[in-house]
Amino acid sequence: MKPKHQRLLLAVIAVAALVGAGLIAASALREEASYFYTPTTLASANVEPGKAIRLGGMVQKGSIVRGSDGVSITFTVQDQERSQKVAYRGITPDLFVEGSGVVADGRLRPDRVFVADSLLAKHDENYVPRELADIDMSAAAHTKDTLVP
Amino acid sequence: MPHAPFIIASFAVTGVCMTWLVVSSYLSMRRAEASAAELKDRP
Amino acid sequence: MHRFANPARFLRIARPLTPALFLLGLILTLAACIWGLFFTPTERLMGDTVKIIFVHVPAAWLGMGGWTGIAIASIVQLVWRHPLAGVSARAIAVPGATFAAICLITGSIWGRPTWGTWWVWDGRLTSMLVLFFLYLGYIALSNASSDKGDTSRVAAVFGIIGAINIPIINRSVIWWESQHQKASITLGGSSIDSAYLVPLFVAVVGFSLLFGALVLMRMRAALAEMRIEARMRRMAEG
Repeated sequence: MKPKHQRLLLAVIAVAALVGAGLIAASALREEASYFYTPTTLASANVEPGKAIRLGGMVQKGSIVRGSDGVSITFTVQDQERSQKVAYRGITPDLFVEGSGVVADGRLRPDRVFVADSLLAKHDENYVPRELADIDMSAAAHTKDTLVP
Repeated sequence: MPHAPFIIASFAVTGVCMTWLVVSSYLSMRRAEASAAELKDRP
Repeated sequence: MHRFANPARFLRIARPLTPALFLLGLILTLAACIWGLFFTPTERLMGDTVKIIFVHVPAAWLGMGGWTGIAIASIVQLVWRHPLAGVSARAIAVPGATFAAICLITGSIWGRPTWGTWWVWDGRLTSMLVLFFLYLGYIALSNASSDKGDTSRVAAVFGIIGAINIPIINRSVIWWESQHQKASITLGGSSIDSAYLVPLFVAVVGFSLLFGALVLMRMRAALAEMRIEARMRRMAEG
């Protein structure tokens, strides 16, 4: 074998080992490296009430109920399969609207309502001009797999 | 929240970084090529 | 493979190519920025902050593309001993690191009005920050040798190992639930309206051409320094 081929073989083996190690590590991290629970993963995760966790998903259409005090709201976060009721007191982010994504820091109450301490808006991968939003979002021909199709 | 400051800041950061990159790369190229040419002409 | 190995032949091509790439890149980049800033519509949720996409996305792609280039050049350097491969890998490092930094900074600025936070430790943001630190490590490693023209093998190995982070950045939003949205542009298509997609494409081409011009400039600087060093050595010996 010529030295050049030897080096090539070595490089191929090294790259293959590297990719393999990376993939194994990534799949091992699958649960741990997720930034938040979705309603589905939360339901199967057996998280005890009171433990600080993060919940993410889509704000269900028509679920936002604002309290009479003006700062407390409740809404439902959903993914493809399940939904989770959330209570929050405070100012909501500008992009917090029904049908859009949200990530909430907080904990489960014993009655399984998620009490959020803070809300972050989560934008989806669709970029649509405001004047087209009505037509485009309902048609959503190019919308890819968001949390809620 | 007003959006203009965020947009201006993003483009300003990009502009400053790109200008620095271009100027520093160009100057180091000019300097190195000039002194290489000068050395070559020396006996 | 070794057709461009001769630095003299490389320079014959690089000399006229540098200003050509630079001017074309500059025109396209400025045009895309003006187009993006003043002639794109407001986004349905984000409002005007959508305009940040025209610097954020090209910077992200070129930051990742830069390391991919370093990895490929490093393999060519180690396997084929191509004399220009190491030079080009080192020339990519500083522009690549700068693009990664631009991506992180503009992303942070974008995050405040849209998400409501400057930074979160999700998979995408963290792996992109790791890429920036990898660049810093690579720059430190390749500068460690005193010989300017020396293309250290340690740096090349580091460049190849670090490349594992690139698919992780790309897949991070799919493998892990993240604050950052999923990819808008994939091989399968795009979920960005053409009102934004067309200027974004122009910006990507423009920034890429500028990147190419920068790499050529830095390669030419490195080659000139190698000539100076060789000359000095001969003068010292003779």
